[in-house]
Amino acid sequence: MNKIIVYCDVNFEQKSLENVSYEIISKAYDLIKDINENLSDDMKYVIEAVALCDEISPQYIKKAFQAGAGRFVLIKDKSLENFSQCVFSKCFCEYFNQNPSPIILFGATQIGRIVAPRITTILNTGLVADCTGLDIAYEEGKIKLLATRPTFGSELMATILSKTNPQCATIRPKTFIAKFDKDIAGQLFEFHPTSYEETRIKFLRRILDNSSDAVDFSNAKIVLSGGFGLNDGKDKKYFLRLEQLANLVGAKVGASRKVVDFGLMPQSAQIGQTGSTTTADVYVAFGISGAIQHICGMKNCKTIIAINTDENAEIFKYADYKIVEDAKALIDDMLATFI
Amino acid sequence: MEIVVCVKQVPDVDDIKWTKENNLDRSQMLSKINPHDEWALDWALNIKSKFKDVNVNVISMGPSQAKDTLNYCLAKGATRAILLSDKAFGGSDTIVTSKILARAIKKYIPDFDYVITGLFAQDGDTAQVPVSLAQLLDVIDVIGVNEIHNADKNCAIVSQKLADVINIFEISTPCLLAVREKCNNSYIARIEDYVRAQNTPIEEYNITDLGFEKNEVGVLGSPTTVYKAFRPQINKNTQEIKDDLARVVLDFIVKAK
Repeated sequence: MNKIIVYCDVNFEQKSLENVSYEIISKAYDLIKDINENLSDDMKYVIEAVALCDEISPQYIKKAFQAGAGRFVLIKDKSLENFSQCVFSKCFCEYFNQNPSPIILFGATQIGRIVAPRITTILNTGLVADCTGLDIAYEEGKIKLLATRPTFGSELMATILSKTNPQCATIRPKTFIAKFDKDIAGQLFEFHPTSYEETRIKFLRRILDNSSDAVDFSNAKIVLSGGFGLNDGKDKKYFLRLEQLANLVGAKVGASRKVVDFGLMPQSAQIGQTGSTTTADVYVAFGISGAIQHICGMKNCKTIIAINTDENAEIFKYADYKIVEDAKALIDDMLATFI
Repeated sequence: MEIVVCVKQVPDVDDIKWTKENNLDRSQMLSKINPHDEWALDWALNIKSKFKDVNVNVISMGPSQAKDTLNYCLAKGATRAILLSDKAFGGSDTIVTSKILARAIKKYIPDFDYVITGLFAQDGDTAQVPVSLAQLLDVIDVIGVNEIHNADKNCAIVSQKLADVINIFEISTPCLLAVREKCNNSYIARIEDYVRAQNTPIEEYNITDLGFEKNEVGVLGSPTTVYKAFRPQINKNTQEIKDDLARVVLDFIVKAK
């Protein structure tokens, strides 16, 4: 049997898996389906979901099978009740060294980003960070991971190969869609690693951080986003009008990085590679030029309408509807219809 | 107390120039210290200001132009600057970069108490080197530090900012801290500081000094390799709206509700 490992992100309070794990399992399943068709049964690849925790509720394991996992390995120990990067990476590597695979995929979540480089450094292999595209090729009996990521302030996309095994990548949440439509009789395994105790660091306490006041774009149907084209050089007038308009039509307000960098909108509103991602039904970009950094966060919206005075603005390449006009004037016109 | 600060010179991503072939035209772009690394230096200098006998060692891997960045760090108050420079280092990926930095730190600053880095570099944006470096130095780390409350020879109290929570840790030295936020006590170097910095020579080490083979570093030694780089292509059938703009846009919005 051959396998591809998906390192699952655990929600330790709920004993559940984060959605990104299911997204990656679903994508990996789709990628190996075609490869498996040409392989004999004993050579076929299965997706192996691996989670480290003291326990995981059975319904979440079942969801992993429905997403496409053929095996679920729970690396189980009392010391894995709370996250610790050194303990987790050691325990995972102990399992991996006994049960190797050519590919390991991680979610690019806060925990994934901390644990994945530890693991790949221990395994002395490469790691591609924060991928937004994934492909798997099969050539001459060898499986190859092609991981694509934005780089250079997201102005450039790079497809990266690994020369060493395991080939590893972290994948940005919401890049792929979790599909729970498989009928797989998956197997559950338990692995009991050596217990480690971490004495070099002590967790003192946790404070809920309300300062970020994060905008939740995950379920937004309509997003109105403001770019530097709304800046009149004097005050935030048009950003406030954009908010007013959004309130009237029941939309969420987004912003480009430049607008956030200039303090015209809060960081929590930023859409893009270093901000939030939206897949809204309608996305209206007011005065946004369309740096790839921004495009990454909104290109999968169903209908994209862009307004910019520059008829050659990058944003128009990604738009379904293009309006060459001063976005400030359009906001005024739209607000006028409500009077 | 010995503090190591890792810094990278990066091209200014707000000043991107392209060649006709759609490649980055680095010769036309300005360089600067990676912003997160400057914050790391500020936090280190903040610790230095509170105790006697604190050395702040800045270390950078890069071409000889990176001396500009190191001189800038010396002017701000760093006590020692180390440049790791060799043609063979070019094209190193994150794990190889971490190996080069780790070996240099072990050799030239073996008694370090803290390694402070920025969370990520603006041009690569992987946030992998701090984690990888901590593993290779065999020290515990806190990744995503937004505040170093107190740091002495034995331990530090630090906050780590995640999406919606702040975790507070007590961490023993030696350790690595990767910072994600500015230090409020940032010192702006003056002309006399640059003059003073000229008295501190930048130490330079190459592949032989660090004892690597050519096939262990750079493009040759890196497990990851760029297969292709491209600017994303899109084929949208974009339609232009010319009349009755406000009403047409509002219609789209209303339909989506």
